[in-house]
Amino acid sequence: MYDKMAKDGDNGWKEYVWNPRTREFLGRTASSWGLILLFYLVFYIFLAGMFCLTMYVMLQTLDDHKPKWQDRLSTPVQCLRVLTPSPLSLTGMVIRPKADEYYEITYNTQKTESWDMYAQTLDKFLSRKSGLFTSKSLLGEVKNNPKRSCQFNRTILEDCSGINDRYYGYQDGKPCIIIKLNRVIGMLPGKDGQAPFVTCGAKVNYSQPLVAVKFLNITTNEDVNIECRINANNIPTGSIRDKWAGRVSFKLRINTI
Amino acid sequence: MDELKKEVPITEHKMSIEEVCRKFQTDCVQGWSQCSHPPPTTPEWVKFCRQLFGGFSVLLWTGAILCFLAYAIQAATEDDPAGDNLYLGIVLTAVVVITGCFSYFQEAKSSKIMESFKNMVPQQALVIREGEKVQINAEEVVGGDLVEVKGGDRIPADIRVVSAHGCKVDNSSLTGESEPQSRSPDNTHDNPLETRNAQLVVFHGSHCHSDLWPGDRKDPIAKEIEHFIHIITGVAVFLGVTFFILAIVLGYSWLEAVIFLIGIIVANVPEGLLATVTVCLTLTAKRMAKKNCLVKNLEAVETLGSTSTICSDKTGTLTQNRMTVAHILARVAGLCNRAQFKAGQDALPILKRDVAGDASESALLKCIELCCGSVRANRDRNKKLSIHETEDTNDNRYLLVMKGAPERILDCCSTIMVQGKEQPMDEELKESFQNAYMELEASERECWDQYPKGFAFDTDDVNFQTDQLCFIGLMSMIDPPRAAVPDAVGKCRSAGIKVIMVTGDHPITAKAIAKGVGIISEGNETVEDIAARLNIPVSQVNPRDAKACVIHGTDLKDLSQDQMDDILRNHTEIVIARTSPQQKLIIVEGCQRLGAIVAVTGDGVNDSPALKKADIGVAMGISGSDVSKQAADMILLDDNFASIVTGVEEGRLIFDNLKKSIAYTLTSNIPEITPFLLFICANIPLPLGTITILCIDLGTDMVPAISLAYETAESDIMKRQPRNPFRDKLVNERLISIAYGQIGMIQAVAGFFAYFVILAENGFLPSRLVGIRLNWDDRSVNDLEDSYGQQWTYEQRKIVEFTCHTAFFVSIVVVQWADVIICKTRRNSVFQQGMRNKILIFGLFEETALAAFLSYCPGMDVALRMYPLNFLIFVYDEVRKLLLRRNPGVCCDVIGDEETMRLGTVTGFGSSSGLVQVLVRPGLAP
Repeated sequence: MYDKMAKDGDNGWKEYVWNPRTREFLGRTASSWGLILLFYLVFYIFLAGMFCLTMYVMLQTLDDHKPKWQDRLSTPVQCLRVLTPSPLSLTGMVIRPKADEYYEITYNTQKTESWDMYAQTLDKFLSRKSGLFTSKSLLGEVKNNPKRSCQFNRTILEDCSGINDRYYGYQDGKPCIIIKLNRVIGMLPGKDGQAPFVTCGAKVNYSQPLVAVKFLNITTNEDVNIECRINANNIPTGSIRDKWAGRVSFKLRINTI
Repeated sequence: MDELKKEVPITEHKMSIEEVCRKFQTDCVQGWSQCSHPPPTTPEWVKFCRQLFGGFSVLLWTGAILCFLAYAIQAATEDDPAGDNLYLGIVLTAVVVITGCFSYFQEAKSSKIMESFKNMVPQQALVIREGEKVQINAEEVVGGDLVEVKGGDRIPADIRVVSAHGCKVDNSSLTGESEPQSRSPDNTHDNPLETRNAQLVVFHGSHCHSDLWPGDRKDPIAKEIEHFIHIITGVAVFLGVTFFILAIVLGYSWLEAVIFLIGIIVANVPEGLLATVTVCLTLTAKRMAKKNCLVKNLEAVETLGSTSTICSDKTGTLTQNRMTVAHILARVAGLCNRAQFKAGQDALPILKRDVAGDASESALLKCIELCCGSVRANRDRNKKLSIHETEDTNDNRYLLVMKGAPERILDCCSTIMVQGKEQPMDEELKESFQNAYMELEASERECWDQYPKGFAFDTDDVNFQTDQLCFIGLMSMIDPPRAAVPDAVGKCRSAGIKVIMVTGDHPITAKAIAKGVGIISEGNETVEDIAARLNIPVSQVNPRDAKACVIHGTDLKDLSQDQMDDILRNHTEIVIARTSPQQKLIIVEGCQRLGAIVAVTGDGVNDSPALKKADIGVAMGISGSDVSKQAADMILLDDNFASIVTGVEEGRLIFDNLKKSIAYTLTSNIPEITPFLLFICANIPLPLGTITILCIDLGTDMVPAISLAYETAESDIMKRQPRNPFRDKLVNERLISIAYGQIGMIQAVAGFFAYFVILAENGFLPSRLVGIRLNWDDRSVNDLEDSYGQQWTYEQRKIVEFTCHTAFFVSIVVVQWADVIICKTRRNSVFQQGMRNKILIFGLFEETALAAFLSYCPGMDVALRMYPLNFLIFVYDEVRKLLLRRNPGVCCDVIGDEETMRLGTVTGFGSSSGLVQVLVRPGLAP
């Protein structure tokens, strides 16, 4: 009896997939399947159309030059401030050259190949940077004009410009690190109307959100942890959550042996 | 199963006591000497583990373990591992444990109720084991135990009498004899029922339990839920593995692929659903108890709803079990009546007095009392036969009176009293009585009285003549149908439920009652009726012409399986008369063979196999025996057939409502899965986090899903056919189509729109997003440029991403508002149904409040990774969704009949969400 049932079940399954008598595939006739497919086609086209339309309308409401909300770019200082997003903003800071994901710059002055890439990175960064800052033709893709950046001349970075020393001091154990503030449209950092400054032990003042730091006398052959902070009255220092906002820390190790 | 239909061969009563002792390896003085092992019960911890590791839990455990694994790998390889995976693992574990505990307690609660039924009358037995008397529970008695029985005890098991002194047992529940039967150690008869040295108990004792009761059967709802879990698990595993492989192929690391796998599993599993189902069933069980249906196991609620055949007892269920005498042709009923008025009610009118005795006897007593005044005769406690001394002291004769069913009485009569004179009973007279009796029977019940000329007095044995009696007269009685029954039967008919009446009555009586309560509806004829009308032999009538049929129970034995199927299939109105419990079982089996879901009512001990075999056994609360109550799934507290119909309605309602709940819960799966798919395929930042998914499944979706269980019945609930258990699954492709294919897609689109709005307004236009994922999730990239050229640190981006999660979450909540209103009805328009479900409205507010709480409560950004979003999103979103929500109504007309009236849900809804916006915005908009 069970055999018979099993056999029935088997046939039933086959019949379910394709029933030649009623010409049904998976329990439905071709026209039924057709209708369903048609329905879903129309339904999804309609849905997609609706989505595109609303997206289009939404995109039309956006400003071409300034995003609607920038409060996320400024890390809220405290959770309680969430309801009234802080007008104070804390932009991110990054360093160049970027070594790896742990922000460690380790090289050996004796081995060219260990620092050559840093120099190349800086070269590339500065040439792109100056190019960006000088040539307006490159700004086409960015929806931000007029660009308020000053004309940028690499010579202003003096020893770190890569003009006098193509190796940015890496060869001599006096490496240049470039610290830059993340760009946030409309944000003009400043302290009491003055330009912000970055403290890294040694004070270097520049009006651009770009700071070159040259380590002139650094202990070699051991790890040096360096943290740089931005000081400006509209940029509060310190945020527990984001260690890249308003500060940057990295490790430097120069081996001479 | 076939075993059940056969008589159990019993030979012990034919053996000598020594042989019996040898057979059971026991001693008739010392008792059984082997230690008894109580039947194995499932230990509590096993039950708990079953809850903890059954169903979806396995999937979630897998997810949790993968989480911990991922965290372990991260911790081993990175200096500063992100705690996300650890948290997620802990949350998942907590979810599994909490839902496991919840189900366990639910089950413990319901099994406690069942336990209480079992212990309502805890039957004890005194057994002698190893020479000592031990008091044990009746179900622990095993073959070989020496049982001691004293007056008033119930026999705990089938026993062979070893020694007895003046022992008499009441066998009425077994054989129907009301007279106590003597028992002694001697074998007096081949038939174990007749012999005096064996006492059978049909359904007590361990061997009966295991041998005679059919094994486990699964309730339809349990099957449905299992089916559903299989589908969902299948989909989850399939999707998870597919995307795991895809992720590996696309070059993601193992760790990332595992995290995707977890995400997809979590998104796919409706975590809260099983809890919702349990709560829904419990609610309904409570509601049914109010309506006099006590449900013993939760799943039975739904089973009742899918019932397509009800095999109902007649006495007490369809009828009131209160006989009233309808026609009197003689007045000698009082003398051989066992019924007595209870003391202390002389002041009451006769008809209202309480009577101790069976229904037909009390009817007679009342009748005689009314007609002839007080009956003070020397009533022997004999049901059918009584002997009296005559009042005339000179007369040394005795008076023997007898009453009983007409066909039997007639056989005992040789003479008849006609107008005060005794005349010989000839064939002609017998014929005319037969006709008279047929006529009366057509609407009523019967009773005969007999008057003898005088006989020698006698004791226990019938050593006197019981034929050659004189026929005195005829009385007819009626057991009136319960008031609500014809209506309820009509309801069953319109609900497509076949009502089969099973009774021990004479076929003619049965047919009369069936016609009275509408089981045989007006105008429908049986084969015999047609034959009589056309005046042709029964054999010439085409059975297909007759919709109704009355079958004699003994005929069932001779029918082949095909003939049986044929009868059950072709006759819509079936009455089965003179039925024995075994035949009841055959009927139930026959119906089940035809694919019907059968409900059986019963009250006697011997109905138990049928109650067990049926998909749902219904026992009678008042008249039912304990055994039948134990075997049943449901107990009718008022013994009323109409309560079954109420139960059916509730059962159908719960099926509908569960379907609604599941549709509602499943819908949000699509907007939970699609973010992962796009995250992997299009490399966009993750639109919806795993924790947020849990917030939806276990937080905001729970109360609305449960509130759907409070939904009232739709108007046509008792007008449609019972569901086909093979085709109308709880979760079928139509439900999946509407939940996943349509509403779910709309929800996903809504969520993605919210996501894109948040990102675009923060500077990341959609075009910039595609392919950004690698840099986006890279901790070391802290100057990622957006479409405006702004640069973002990792933490800043993540905050935007979590804001997106919140936006996605809130938009799902909003579309779930609409979804719950959509799911409120299956066929009716929401305008027909109205918004009277207060729990649902509460659910809506609760959902919203919870969502607002989760989004805005300080600290939640750390705990749940949610950030407040700009409420302006609603302005776009609402307009769009308002239009989108119109879709299902329009489209579903094409695709499925069940989801037709959806259009109505939209308009009423738009305003309410608008209101919410106004309320919320002033304080919160930046």
